[in-house]
Amino acid sequence: MSGMARTPAKKTVSTVVDRGDAWCVVGAGPHGMSALKALLQNGIEADGYERESDVGGNWNFGAENSRVYESTHLISSKPFTQFPDFPMPDSYPDYPSHRQVKEYFGRYADHFGLRARIRFSSDVVRAVPVDDGRAWDVTVCDRGTVQETTYRYAGLVVGNGHNWNPKIPDYAGREEFRGEVIHSADYKGPEVLRGKRVLVVGAGNTGCDVVVEAAQNATHAWHATRRGYYYNPKYMTGRPSDQVADSLLALRLPLGLRRVLFKGSLAIAVGDLTKFGLKRPDHKFFETHPIVNQQLVYYVGQGDITPTDDIDHFDADGVVFTDGSRIDVDLVVFCTGYLVRFPFLEQDWLNWKDDHPHLFLQMFTPSYDNLVVSGLIQPDSGQWTLAHWQGILVARVAEALRARPSVARAFLSRSAAEADRRYSAGAHYKDSTRHYFEVAHQDYLRALQDAIHELEVSA
Amino acid sequence: MSSVNPLRRKTLAMRPWDWSFPSPPVSHREVVSAQPDEPTGLPPLLMVHGLAHAAWCFGENWVPAAAERGYPSYAVSLRGHGGSAGARHLRRTMTRDYVHDVMQTITELPEPPVLIGHSNGALVAQLVAERYPLRGLVLLTPAPMHSAMGDLVAIGKDRPADLLRAVVGQTLSMEPDILFEGLDPQTARTYSDRTGPESPLVQWELLLRRRVGPVRCPVLVIGTPQDRLVRPADVERTADSYGVEPMWFPGMGHDVMLDTGWDDVLDQVLGFVADLPPWGTAQVR
Repeated sequence: MSGMARTPAKKTVSTVVDRGDAWCVVGAGPHGMSALKALLQNGIEADGYERESDVGGNWNFGAENSRVYESTHLISSKPFTQFPDFPMPDSYPDYPSHRQVKEYFGRYADHFGLRARIRFSSDVVRAVPVDDGRAWDVTVCDRGTVQETTYRYAGLVVGNGHNWNPKIPDYAGREEFRGEVIHSADYKGPEVLRGKRVLVVGAGNTGCDVVVEAAQNATHAWHATRRGYYYNPKYMTGRPSDQVADSLLALRLPLGLRRVLFKGSLAIAVGDLTKFGLKRPDHKFFETHPIVNQQLVYYVGQGDITPTDDIDHFDADGVVFTDGSRIDVDLVVFCTGYLVRFPFLEQDWLNWKDDHPHLFLQMFTPSYDNLVVSGLIQPDSGQWTLAHWQGILVARVAEALRARPSVARAFLSRSAAEADRRYSAGAHYKDSTRHYFEVAHQDYLRALQDAIHELEVSA
Repeated sequence: MSSVNPLRRKTLAMRPWDWSFPSPPVSHREVVSAQPDEPTGLPPLLMVHGLAHAAWCFGENWVPAAAERGYPSYAVSLRGHGGSAGARHLRRTMTRDYVHDVMQTITELPEPPVLIGHSNGALVAQLVAERYPLRGLVLLTPAPMHSAMGDLVAIGKDRPADLLRAVVGQTLSMEPDILFEGLDPQTARTYSDRTGPESPLVQWELLLRRRVGPVRCPVLVIGTPQDRLVRPADVERTADSYGVEPMWFPGMGHDVMLDTGWDDVLDQVLGFVADLPPWGTAQVR
């Protein structure tokens, strides 16, 4: 999105196209599509807007704001990741590739007739509440004609994602460094790594993927992390490991026992990480977003990846780490995640504190009943099952706002009080921008299910 | 949604058993289909067979006849049945696998279908309806969600040997006199001979009492007073759980899509489909 959000509207054009009871959905990635579909499926008129020419959002490989790279595969297995009402085909593997994911989203859009409801190649430039917050004026810019049009909607669903605006850490000496520095947002494939000495910063799932590709393609790879982590294998006993994990959840085992079982099975499957020179995790299991990578430890064992401390500062030819050691590098890849931004909205409207929104159920703001965010979650499991249920909840709220305002108000009156509630299933997440939106899928889905039920029974 | 309906439960988002032990994929699914001569804009119909049957039971009459009347029509063979793969694993197959097969078939259709289930296929269809936003749901002589114990007892009184065979895991008898009333004996015998084996687990599962979440599409329930597998009282109760009256076809047997008079039943089904409200405007059931 462009940075035009804060510039006040020029009063030259005053025509507003009134869309009446219709809702506006920003973004045609999985969250935008599932909200759009749920609204339409429940008889609520809705229009979608998408800046690219196709659906898929982040999974629209090659698009400007897509953050997937050539080798991206899912790290959660199919049953957790798919839309529950539109399963991935049997022909897909346990962990589909980004190409299959995009194809899947395309089929979802076709099946539910969404393409006709989405205006593609359109930037949402700004959205402002009007009529005391009863409606939203959404200004859209057509990327072809560069024409701006303003539409009035009964409600606004923000589903444009939060993994597109790179977070780049600031280290001393960055300007002096003569090598190359990129953010993983711009990493598309291993070509950039070939023949170089590469330092990868950050141990998110992207960082781990990139450092493995560096081990395979670069002259040498270093991996700088702030702390030790647990590296989960993709498979355990021949089954996708998230399926093994959820068997324990299905048995409703308590957190402590699940931790013991997990640590035990990791001890067998992966072993003591400090023997590889990796740091000992400084936190308990389930306190950080899970890393799923079977290859990293293997390449550390082969000597292709050298784990290091965090960077202290750069110099002309390399970096110095916090333990005082120093290396020469040609390329530094920051896999340091993303900062959430909604450039077409005022931050205050989303209960913005400490650089992120605080929302009831990660969706509803105390400021406006008819402003909903979908997708501001990072589950310890697949994403789109949650996207589906968020979409259903959006539709239930929209229905209630239209037909039973008192029910909607009763439900949304908790927005302020519950804005800081976390859905962590008892674990205490490590404080990091990475964990602002972390949810334990079982906790969060049960909360969504209760919310949906509440709105359904009061029908 | 009525809060006293014993066959309804709240929306279920958390399904760890489904996710932890997903249905094994099948390599091939038989789908019998027929398309109208030119696009009509009418919704597709997807038909799901019951115990020991396969797609042919709809392919015989309903699929071509409905296509002729403008409906893109499909009938799927569940795993281990007809031309679909999975015969080798039939004895391990469960109802959830059939639900999976129907969901997979739905995702291959161009738009949300009207789902038509017969007998045990109607039970499968109801389990699909709580997961997927159907255009409409048609239940033909539906196996009861509230446990088929009563039907089994009735079968036992009538034909004790059949009951015994089902209890030990053999396929329920699909003799012509059980399935048909009006059909000439030769055709009835031919159809009966086309039935195959059924999973014992699926048959035993019929005894379970199941509850499903809210179903948000119009429902049509069809029964016959002469049904020798599903008692009229059970058809009544199924219809009641959706707040509708069953539609009766006296003089027909359990297989209403094959027995004499199948065209009258299809007429009523297509009438129901023609009157469906646009996708998404129906009330909760």
